[in-house]
Amino acid sequence: MRMKPAAPFTQVLSLSAALALSGVTTPAGAADTIAGQPDISGVWAHAFPRPGQPADPRLDTGPLPSPPLKPAYMAEWTALRAKQKAADERGEPTAGLEARCLPDGMPSLMFAIYPLEVLQTPGRVTIIEEAFSQTRRVYLDEPQGKVGDVEPGYYGHSVGHWDGDALVVDTLGLKESVPGYRDIPHSDEEHIIERIRLIDPDILEDQMTVEDPKVLERPWSFRFVYRRMKGYHMLEYVCENNREYTDQNGGTHLQLGSH
Amino acid sequence: MTKEASAQAAALCACALAWAGPALAHHSFAMFDHVHRVTISGTVTRFDWTNPHVYIDLAVPDAKGGVSRYTIECASPNVLTRVGWKFNTVRVGDKVSALINPLRNGEPGGMLETLTTPDGKTLSDSNPPGGVFER
Repeated sequence: MRMKPAAPFTQVLSLSAALALSGVTTPAGAADTIAGQPDISGVWAHAFPRPGQPADPRLDTGPLPSPPLKPAYMAEWTALRAKQKAADERGEPTAGLEARCLPDGMPSLMFAIYPLEVLQTPGRVTIIEEAFSQTRRVYLDEPQGKVGDVEPGYYGHSVGHWDGDALVVDTLGLKESVPGYRDIPHSDEEHIIERIRLIDPDILEDQMTVEDPKVLERPWSFRFVYRRMKGYHMLEYVCENNREYTDQNGGTHLQLGSH
Repeated sequence: MTKEASAQAAALCACALAWAGPALAHHSFAMFDHVHRVTISGTVTRFDWTNPHVYIDLAVPDAKGGVSRYTIECASPNVLTRVGWKFNTVRVGDKVSALINPLRNGEPGGMLETLTTPDGKTLSDSNPPGGVFER
């Protein structure tokens, strides 16, 4: 589905040559790829089970492994979940990022409840999540900065390199004030290593390891798996009309429309 | 891409994302009653094809000869597109009926489950059964 790159793009090899170099199976009909890089480009969606279809063990990520939080942070997370549960039972859910029209950032966006588009260009892999048009730029073969010296943000600073068939992505600089994945506490020392690879021409895996010496007892690993969305064109997403609002107690309500 | 491939892709996407519904990872829909579902019928007074949610405002005749005005929260344009909606699927003035999960606080609003349009088509909002989302 991708366009053949223009002439100055000298790194381009034919599909067969790229396959020979990488040893990776590429989907039939894929266009040329970048020399020596497995082709993970395309649009991907979280591999939810499909009703009525047999379970595919390759897609089964199992329950999220419990985060090995230090006791104080485990207590904080447990209390937060209890507060959310009580609020849900009252029918006044606490306002998460989405209820405030804010993106969820790394690593939550890699859950990919909305599609992810992966683009491969020389020296760069770009990952765009459809929700909020969140964009991650992974700079290939560049040095990573140091904890505390990388500007904190929603997506952090990511560098990457190819290790065999896996794109290894190293991310630092995640803003502590942005709620963590499933509201799990994290700090500004959070460091995420991902190994992203095709486990089938149409299945992409992201093996994620989170290190956070302030908050975690030890590294915490989990896995996301995606299905290819063949031929899908990404849609825009601008959060322009949020009719949910938060009251002074942090509860979410629906603002009824004007008529 | 051929039309067939396109239709196939759309079917695939709808299927893959069917129960993902309007949720982002941490969005709770606990303000809605997912058990006591109701069907309301009326005239569309406003249709917002917007993120983070699509909204339908509906004027619903009541038993006393008056009109109740409902606000219906739907999934996002992205999710609805993947299950067959378009930006112009619903228009102001359309007479529609909606199966909704009403607001638990009793106000005239709810979350859409399915919408039946004037041509008799029933469209899903792709909400999961029971509306349960893991936090």
